[in-house]
This record gives sequence, C-alpha cells and structure tokens, in this order.
Amino acid sequence: MSFTHLHVSTAFSAHYGVSWPDELAAAAAADGASALACTDRDGLYGTVKHLKACASAGIDPIAGVDLAVLDHGQAIGRVVILAHGHIQGAGYRALCRLISDAHAGTGAQSHQPVGITMEELASRCLDPATLTPVLTVLLGPYSDVGQALRAHRYSMARSLISRWQQLMPDGSLAAEVVTHLSPPGQSLSTGHAVKLYKLAAERNLPAVLTNAVRYCDIDGAATADVLDSARALTALEKLSDLQPNGQGWLKPARQMKALAAEISKAADLGRAGATRLLAATEELADRCRMDPVSDMGWKQPVVPEVSVIGVESEPLTELWNRCEAGIGRRFAGMSHQQEERVQSRLDHEMRIIGRLGFSSYFLTVAEVSKMITGMGVRAAARGSGASSLVNYLLHISHVNPLEHGLIFERFLSQDRSTLPDIDIDVESAERHNVYHRIFERFGPERVTLMSMQNGYRARGAVRDAGLALGMDEDDVGTIAKQLWRFSAGKFREAMAEKPELRDFSSQVDQNQQLDLLVDLTERLDRLPRHISMHPCGVILGDKNLLDRSPVQPSGLGLPMSQFDKHDMDPMGMLKLDVLGVRMQSSMAYALNEIIRIHPSAAEVASAGGHRKPDGSIPDFISGDGQISLDAVPLDDEPTYELIRSTHTLGCFQIESPGQRELIGKLAPAGFNDLIIDISLFRPGPMKSDMVRPFLEHRHGWAPENYPHPDLKPALAETHGVTVFHEQILHTFHVFTGCSMAQADVLRRQLGDEDAEPAVEEFFRTRAIARNYPLEVVDKVWHTLKSFASFGFCKAHGAAFAVPTYQSAWLKAHHPEAFLAGIFEHDPGMYPRRLLVAEARRLGIEILPLDINRSTGQYRVERIPDTEPPAGEGSGGPPVGNGCGGPAAGESNGGPPVGNGEPGSGGRLGIRLSLAGIYGLSRTELKRIVAGQPYDSLADLRTRARVSRANLKRLAQLGAFDALNRTMQGKGSRADLIHHLNSAPSRPAQRKHQPAAGQLTLPLGDLELSGLKPQLPEPGMTEKVRTELDLLSVDASAHLMDSYRPLLEELGVRQAEELLQLRNGTEVMVAGIRVATQTPPMRGGRRVVFISVDDGTGCVDCTFFHEAQQQAGPLLFGTELLLVKGITRRTGPKGIGLQATAAWDLSDADTLPLPERSSRLGRETAAGPLK
Amino acid sequence: MGLFSESVEVVCSPSGQPLRLQWGNRSYKIAADPLRWYERRKWWEEELRAERGRGAGLVDHEIWRVQARANEQSELRTFDIAYQADTGRWRIVKIHDAVRELSA
Repeated sequence: MSFTHLHVSTAFSAHYGVSWPDELAAAAAADGASALACTDRDGLYGTVKHLKACASAGIDPIAGVDLAVLDHGQAIGRVVILAHGHIQGAGYRALCRLISDAHAGTGAQSHQPVGITMEELASRCLDPATLTPVLTVLLGPYSDVGQALRAHRYSMARSLISRWQQLMPDGSLAAEVVTHLSPPGQSLSTGHAVKLYKLAAERNLPAVLTNAVRYCDIDGAATADVLDSARALTALEKLSDLQPNGQGWLKPARQMKALAAEISKAADLGRAGATRLLAATEELADRCRMDPVSDMGWKQPVVPEVSVIGVESEPLTELWNRCEAGIGRRFAGMSHQQEERVQSRLDHEMRIIGRLGFSSYFLTVAEVSKMITGMGVRAAARGSGASSLVNYLLHISHVNPLEHGLIFERFLSQDRSTLPDIDIDVESAERHNVYHRIFERFGPERVTLMSMQNGYRARGAVRDAGLALGMDEDDVGTIAKQLWRFSAGKFREAMAEKPELRDFSSQVDQNQQLDLLVDLTERLDRLPRHISMHPCGVILGDKNLLDRSPVQPSGLGLPMSQFDKHDMDPMGMLKLDVLGVRMQSSMAYALNEIIRIHPSAAEVASAGGHRKPDGSIPDFISGDGQISLDAVPLDDEPTYELIRSTHTLGCFQIESPGQRELIGKLAPAGFNDLIIDISLFRPGPMKSDMVRPFLEHRHGWAPENYPHPDLKPALAETHGVTVFHEQILHTFHVFTGCSMAQADVLRRQLGDEDAEPAVEEFFRTRAIARNYPLEVVDKVWHTLKSFASFGFCKAHGAAFAVPTYQSAWLKAHHPEAFLAGIFEHDPGMYPRRLLVAEARRLGIEILPLDINRSTGQYRVERIPDTEPPAGEGSGGPPVGNGCGGPAAGESNGGPPVGNGEPGSGGRLGIRLSLAGIYGLSRTELKRIVAGQPYDSLADLRTRARVSRANLKRLAQLGAFDALNRTMQGKGSRADLIHHLNSAPSRPAQRKHQPAAGQLTLPLGDLELSGLKPQLPEPGMTEKVRTELDLLSVDASAHLMDSYRPLLEELGVRQAEELLQLRNGTEVMVAGIRVATQTPPMRGGRRVVFISVDDGTGCVDCTFFHEAQQQAGPLLFGTELLLVKGITRRTGPKGIGLQATAAWDLSDADTLPLPERSSRLGRETAAGPLK
Repeated sequence: MGLFSESVEVVCSPSGQPLRLQWGNRSYKIAADPLRWYERRKWWEEELRAERGRGAGLVDHEIWRVQARANEQSELRTFDIAYQADTGRWRIVKIHDAVRELSA
C-alpha cells in the first residue's frame, strides 16, 4: 500500500519550503505514491507548477493551502485546508475565494496579518449550490488545538475542538497527526501526536497522518533552518522557534507506516489504530484528487465576454468587419496587385484565428489598445504581434508586416493552442493610470495584475546566510558588494575563478565561518523570497476569473494574482503585457517641451531644422505645432548621421558601450539597418560570431555567400547570414516544402536535445528528395542547428527599432528638449550625471538651481543673450566634440539656437530641477513651486515653510545666488550658509507675520542685502562636491576637472583625443565609472566592459582575462578609475581601449606617478570625491 | 548535545532497533522497548561545512534511550546512545544511573 502526503510546502512557500514541486512529485512517484498534495503557506503560489510536475510524474495532484486562523485580528494557529476534487471545480473555487478572503485588507499599509477567521472558513467549506462540503480543514500540531495539547492544557484543547466541531459543517474537519520524532515533551514529538490522535478518537473525528513536509529529503533540513532565520530576521543562535529537528522531509511510505504504528502503539490503540490512521489518510486523499481539466480549467483559454466590449454580434463576424474597415485606413490608394496581396494575407490570418476561436481575444486587445491611445498616452506594440496584419489593421501594432516580410505563423498558427502574447509599451509615468482604466473598463471581477516570483540571487543569499550565522552586517555587506552576476549556486566555483573574489577566497582559507557562509549561500540559491507585482502583466478573464485565481493586494492597491507568468498558459489565462517604458515618457516630455518653448508650427519647424527644401512645414507637424512622432518618416538623414557618429548616449537601446561599438562598425543608413543592428546585438549572435561575417559582407570586404540560390530571396537583406527567425522559417519552407506553421514548430524544436534528431531526419530526407545536393543540405542544416536558438524574431526587431529611431531623431533635432526629457525620466542605463556631461559636451548650458526659476521638473529655458554663462569661473562649457565626432551643430542639420525667429532670441539651456535635491520632500517642493516667485528668504520661509536643513541645502547649491545678486547682497554663498547656520530656525513669529489682507512692505531682503562679506565664494571643486552630494550630479563643472593637475602629471589622455591617435597606441585614461557590463562572449571567457567618463566623452575599456587579474578588486567596486591600455579602433567613428591595468584614482599612494613623492598628486587625489 | 564521550558497539535488529551494546569489556543485552528520538544540533557552531548534499546527521542526531543489563543478575542501567549517520558509528552520550553526564 502506498502513502499520500497531504501536507507539503514547496519552495514557493517563501522563506519556508525548500524543495521544488518537480523534485517532490518525482520523489513521491518514485516511492509508489499515486497522488501528492501541495499546501503552500498563504497561497497557491506553487500549485500550477505542482500540477505540471504531477502530470509529468504521472500522479494525481491535490491542492490546498496552509493558512493562519485569526481571532480578533490575532493569529491563533495554522491549519491546512484541502480542496475536494472531481466536483466540477466547486472545491477549487472555494479554495481560491478562501485564500483571497485571507489576504483581503492586508498589504503594505495595513497591520492586519494574512489569515482567516473560523467563521469565514466555515462559510467557504460548503458549496453554496449543493450545500455539501467541498473543503476539508486539518487541525494539526500548529492549530490552536494542537498547541494547547502541546502545552498540556487539555481542557482548553477540548473546548477549542468543540468550537471547531460546532462551527464547521459535517464532513469538513479532520485531525492531522504528525510526529517528527522530536525529544519527548517537545513539539512534534510522538507524544504530541498521540494526544491529538486520542482526542480525535474521543470526538469521533477522522484523523489523518502527515509529515508536515518542508523538504524533499533530509539534506534540506539545514536549508530550512536558514530560511527560518531569514524569515525571522534573527541569527540561528538566537532563534527561539527553530524546527525541533530535521525530520520534516517527504518520508517514504514504509517509514510513514512505521510512524503510524509507533503513534498507535504509544496511544494504546494497537495495530488497528495504525490501520485506521492510514486508511483515513488515503480516504481523504481520494476525496481531494483533482482533475486538472474539469476542476481547475487546465489549458482552457478564457477571455472576457465580448458583450463587455460592446460586441453584440458573433465575434468572428465583428472581427472581419473591423479588419475590412482597417484596410481602407491603412492602405488607402493601393494598387490592385497590392490589394490582392493584402486580401489574401487577411484571409489566411482570419482562417487561422477563426479555427482557433481567438477572435474575441483580438477584439479584447484592440479594445485595450484603443483605450490607451484614447487616454492620450504614447503606446507602441512590441513583440511578435507585429507579425500580424490583423493587428496592424486593428491599430494594435504599427508595423506593416507585408513591407518587412514578417510571417504570421511566427505569432500564431493552427498548431499552437495557447493564447499568443501581445505586448504594449506605454509611457512609464502613465502605466498605473492605464492599469486603473483597464480595471474600470472590464470590471474588477475580470482583471487582476500578474505577480512575479523574486528568488535569491548571490547578494541577497550571502546577506541572509550571514544573518543566519550571526556575522557582522557590515562584513557581510562588504562581501556582498564583491558578488557580481553569478548564481549563488556556484559560489565556490566562482571563488576559484573570479579575480574580484581573490581576496575573499584567501579570507575563507583563514576564517572557517566564511566556509559555512559559502555553503549556506549556495543552499539559498534561486529559492523564492517573495512575490511582487510583475512589471507589466495584466490578466484579463471572464466574470469567473476570481474563481480560478486567488488574489492579494499589490503595492499599487489593485489586486494581484498569486500566479506568475509561467502559470498563464497552463491555466488558460490571457495575459496582456502593458509595459511602462521610461523612454516613452521621456519622449512625451520632450515633445511637450518643444511646443512649450516654440509655441507655433513655424517656430518648431525652424528650431528643429524640419523645413522642407522649399521652406514648407512637413506634415508631421500639425497646425498648432505639435509633432506627431509616429508620423515622422523613417529616412531622416541627420538622424542616421547622429547614429553613425556613435554619440548616441540617451538614445533607446543604442547607448550601451557594446551597441555604440556595433553601430560604429555597422554604420546604419536606413531603418532596416536599425532592425538588423538591434537583432544582432543579442547574446546569441554576439557569441556565435555572426556579426563579423555579416559586417564583412556588408562593407564588401568579402563576397556574399549563399548556400543555395533558392535561399537568396530570404537571406539577401542580411547578405547571406541568417539573423532572423523568419529566415529560418523560409529555409525550412524552401528545403522541405513544409507549411510555415510546420516550419515554426520545427524551429521551436531546434536546440531541444530530444526533438532535434527527428527534425534533422525530416529536413535531410525531404531536402534530398527535392534534389538538393548533399553538401548543401549539410551546410544548411548546420546553419539551422547553430543559429536557430539564437536568431531573433524580425517582428521584435522592427517593433523595437521604432522608438530607437524616434529617440535619435529627437536628439538630432531638439537636443535640449530631448535631454530635458532624459533628465526628467531617467530612462537609460547611465547615471543622470553622465547625460548632464553629454549636454555640456553638446554645448547645452546646464542652468543652476534657482529658487525662483527651478521647478519640480527639468525645463528647457531660453537664456537672454545678455546673461553671462552660468557657473562663471568654470571656464565655460567645454568646446570639445567628444571623440572627434562632428559637433552637435554640424551633425544636426543646423544648430537649433539663435535662428532669428522673431521674439525667440537667445540660447536654450536646461534648468536644474528641485526634484533632484537630496532631503527635499515632495510636499516642500510643491509648496516652493506654488509660492514662486519669492522676494526674500523670509518670504520663502513664511510661505513655503521650507525646513532649515533644506534652506541650507538650497543655499549650498546656489539656489539663492540669483536672488542675492538682485538684492545686491555683498555676501558670498559661503556667508549666506554661515548666516543660515546661525539664524533662528523657525519662520518669523506669528505676531511679526502680516495679517491676512495686509501687504508686507516691499523692503526687499534685508537678510541678504545685510550680509557682511567675510568669507570667500566657495571654489569650483567645493561647489561640485556639494552638487554631487546633494544632487548626485556635477552640474557646474565636471568632477574630473578638479583632478586635472594630477592627470596632467600622470600623462593621461582625454577621451576626445583618442580618435586622433593611431590604432594600438598605449595610453592612460581616467574618469568616473558610468557603466559596467559583462556581456556573454565567444569562447565563454568573461569579458568586462567598463566605461569611464572624463568630461570630454566616454572611454569604453575592455578588460580581458589578464587585465581582470591585474585589476582584481577594482573591477566592480571603484568609482574613479585610472586605466592603462591600448587603443582599439572599432569603426570609422569609434575607438575603445583594451585595458592592461587599472588603478583607483582616489588612492593616491598606489598611482603610477612619475615621482612617487609628488605632493601635488596626493593632495588633489585625496580631495574631490571623498 | 554535541559532545560525545565514548564509542560503543551496537548490534541492531533488521529494522534498525538496538539489541545489544558492547561497552568497555562487557556486553549488555537491551531489555524492554527502547525509546528513540532525533535531537537537534547547533550545527552552525559545531560544523565547519554544511554543503548541499551533506545528507543525514547535520541538523539532528538519532538518540536511543535503552535499558540494558550485562547479565540476568545485574541491575538494569539506562543509556542514551547516539547514532551518527555520517560515520555509521554509535556513541554513548549519557549513563543515567551513574547520574553523570559524560562530556570530554
């Protein structure tokens, strides 16, 4: 006879369970079990994975939950609740609703614990329709009854169990007997089990045996200890409720039977008692076996009822009508031949959609898409949805699939029955509004946010392992900072290999506690820590969605499903990815700034250099001057010039060091080149050496090469190199004559060890039968085999390339507005200060904080010609062009300044925002902006009620300098700071404040004008240091400026000089680290890219193995770097450095100064950033 | 219970239940039903490593409380003996009648 475990926590019981569902199901099946339960704590987090695991292990799943029971808001114990099965989902529905009940009113703002009252529990146990029990509650050792027994409070235990029996419907209650064989008298001892078993027998309550499993085998016990410590945030040594021992594992049937015998014997119930216990366990297990299909809706797609979106007719007919209408809009005035192509493609897609019954899905997505656009929010579809003409006609996507050769089957085919993914990018700042509108539009019963599991990664794992061992938090923090992108599970391996862990490795040799730390870190690897709102997933269902997924509050206040993306397909759930993209917000912001500063179509056209040769205004600028970005033609030459210059900092997707190198080499001349660029810059192609041959063919250095002339039509756009999934589909189609749908199935099987041999067999047989020569077949198969898993869907590339182009277009034509948008929404990979340096490099003035001019946003501002450049004494903005590239003006098709537009004279600059100031609260900021302008400090104190600390910060940042000048104050910024340090902290006393309606005398600011000039104006170095401290931006001058004397002594070259040097010159460069990347590389050996910025541009330094050894701990921790290396030309406009050595610029003693005794070097180096 | 005293030879039944002890120069026969439990260890203090796959014996030790006598005439003595899963050896952790805990 087998044994069924009814109480099992998987790893998805965060900070509690240790083992993955598939390990558990496999172990149970191997022991001969025919069913297994998954009863995660607080939810169904692991349930769908459990279903999948049970299906592949060939056993029946049982679904349940382990929940706290609340009494007057306090947890009084925990119980396990199991759903009954094979009752058309009545049990599963009740379980979902019960769990949602348990989470209602919890969440970040609330102090209410997750849990359920006995009354709520009782009401969910009966099916409202049939009034039969559909759930069973297990009262085990952790229940209030079990705890009372453990404390020898027998009469209390009796009254507690009476209450349960009174409240719960008949047939929905059982006792759960558990022994972990802990020492006599302790929790989970055999004696503990005996008491519960006897009490159940006395009350005629069925009793079942479980092992309250937390780990699959004995080895997991230590991991469970560490998780307990992490959950309680307490070191193991101080943890009061450690598990009594390590016996909570998935014991085999033989041992469970022995336990039953042991308990029964100790309870004087003999063999019959053991048999009864085991029989009751199996009886309950049988009642709870789930039918995934009929109980849980396994793999049955569900979408909102079309009536919700106002469709009364048959959905397929409605979809036809809407598509036909779309043809008129999208293809106005097409030729007859074109019309035939469009019509036949539409027929083809509609046939497949109709057969799959997905028409209401398309109508739903179209509805969401229309709703977002209607809100005035920028939106762009991404992903393989761009392959569909239907999507294009419904205005879900904006790429014409016929024009770019995109294949529908890559998105959807009759051979796939899961709902396809359509992803929509929206402005990040508007994402939450969009979510709320979707909830309103479809109703809260049909919508929930998707969640995601956050697992342990190296840094978090080492922190929690250190906590468990009671190590010093700072010591562990120091170690954690050294860990860089490897899985915690390979910590020990990494220690042997990675140079940055060298120091740590030698410490481990000396300190044995660190050895344990490494072991525990490895144990925590990947285990789920908590769930959170997925960054973009929204689940749409019909009115019964909440019967199929439990929900809990999210950080956003909207309900969040307990299921993650892996659970969507199995549960037939429609997930819509509405992703917030900061770049979309940046661009929307830039567009608003353009119209604000150039308030007419004529001004916009002139400022951006948009006028056509005949002087007319192009169509994408509307009458009122609004630029419609989506209407801008994709062939603007100044935009491609900018891209080719590699000065693409801030541009979507092409700003990283690796991408800047690739676009330098590829030199894109048109939109298709951008699609190719984006598709190539991916781990697969970079790793598999697709890029080099592609570039050689592209530049004509090597002849194009096609394996067979038949493939030329498909491969011509990439010069014979297979880059896109679409090309792989064509290759299959051409060589085997299979359909595109089949081709996509074959493509998916490539790289799958089990499936691939059959694909090869099919390919070879069919290709030979079609008379392709053997060596061609060999060659083409090799290509398919090696590239298929890396290739990129061209539809993705096409969708991605649109915002890339748009951002580059804005940077080329409206750099001030573009950069203001970038500062405001911070979309990219770099710190804001680097983009500020980029503005300075482009000659765009960064205007200082000013209490009367700065707002809560980075605004473009017109600088009167009479005004001197800001930051006097800084030597003005650097005039260099970066790495020798064309200056902004040259490449931009005319500088956008001083263009003689009437009334618009003056340069454009960007005013710093108050929002960036450290310590300034949102409410203070709002009050400051609402009260502008201020005529005195007293005025500011009175009306904006700014705290003293912030008043001082504002002064330190020079926000009062302009006011001081106006007041003709004679004191310096330092005098003012000194004054504020000694002045009274509170605003003027009430009696001195003007009464309402009474005007203050316009005396000006006596405080400022009365300042005695005593202290000198702070030096530029000090100002910059203050800015970095309080704004994280060096606004007045570049941080590196203060290192100039030291750098000169060291003989350091500037970034802008490098392009003029010969390839292979040995140089030293220095700068602030702005990016660190470890892209995957050919040969598998790690390469580290570190980009440093020195104020004249960025230098991308490549550290290969030896250089990494030399740099050691400097690789990932140091901010200011001195790097020695060899220049390496990457393209006509690109140059990088192959590093040979690196130093910490702020550690003067280690620098390779010509004379070690140089005092100058030490003093300067000790200064600025510290 | 991390400190152990003396090694002891134990003969077990096929199901793993101790039947005889060989301690010092004498053999003890186990009388009555022994009591068995698993006792936690402070492994994070006592162990140098806790690597994955370490297996049994890290978090707890199996302890048997047995009553045994050397021959029919001698009196019953109570021993706590611990089985060490990693080495497969037995040790005496406590002799109750002697009312002294062995720790060395």
